[in-house]
Amino acid sequence: MNISAEHLKILDVMSRLSIDRASRALSKTLKTGAKISFSKCYVAEIGAVTEKMNESTDEMAGVMVGFKGNVGCKLLFMIPMHGVFILTDLYLRQPSGTTKTYDECSESVMQELGNVLAAHICNSLVSNFDATLTPLPPVVHNDYAGVMFSNLIMEQAMMDDKLVLIDTKFEICKTELACYLFLVPDVASFDKLIDAIGVYS
Amino acid sequence: MKKILVVDDAKVVRMVISKVLTKNGFAIAGEAENGREALEKYKQLKPDAVTMDITMPEVDGIQGLKDIIAYDKNAKVIMISAIDQRDSLAEAIRNGASGYIVKPFEDDSMTIAINKLFNQE
Repeated sequence: MNISAEHLKILDVMSRLSIDRASRALSKTLKTGAKISFSKCYVAEIGAVTEKMNESTDEMAGVMVGFKGNVGCKLLFMIPMHGVFILTDLYLRQPSGTTKTYDECSESVMQELGNVLAAHICNSLVSNFDATLTPLPPVVHNDYAGVMFSNLIMEQAMMDDKLVLIDTKFEICKTELACYLFLVPDVASFDKLIDAIGVYS
Repeated sequence: MKKILVVDDAKVVRMVISKVLTKNGFAIAGEAENGREALEKYKQLKPDAVTMDITMPEVDGIQGLKDIIAYDKNAKVIMISAIDQRDSLAEAIRNGASGYIVKPFEDDSMTIAINKLFNQE
């Protein structure tokens, strides 16, 4: 893993801006506030971070999105299963407690939320940093947090024992719900973009 | 009553769009999950207009738009996408889209955009 402190700092700014835009889109989609409670960009030891994710034994729903364009990145939006029911009710503007099982509708809500989050992250990177980036169709999973996280980082784990991780927690207002959003950028392609925008030239 | 074909890979989005359109005096001709299915349904159902997502599996919305316009150059297709980028908008308009709505959208903005299509007739 080879990334300078300056590039990591710029990546941190890029991720905060884009995640802020994504959270505003999430708020508008759900017609309720989505507040970023925590966001950081850091170099993580794959072993340690995977071990931490494996500690969670709750079943989660997650949506994974890849991107196409001049920068490489992957996104995982994850939420405990009971949270999916809350999001489904919010999305469909139905009374809280209406959704009681994980079904085709809940899965579709996860798919759409992944799509909205990913698209608005792309929109921010394109408008602020001249990236060329659009999301691929989202893929919804239903599993333990550790399993989904391992799928997210599989490619990086084959090449290195470290990765750059953008780790964000959202809170959905008026609920006790915390959502997890991970972005795994392909550092080499982001390095080219950062060089191209010329912050340190 | 004008008939609309709703194309999106997410079932809940099709549900929400259909609900808004029905509430505002439109009929739903049918639904499709991707661009390939959209062309098949367009030929079969002959809708007055289409709402088309962009990011979809198999055949995406831009290709779906191109295929529908190739079949019927007067087709009215409104793109509905979370992608809010100049290049995507330009590509859609260049290929014959009649309008572009960014998700998440207000119910009114979609109704206004679709009404505008028919008022131009």
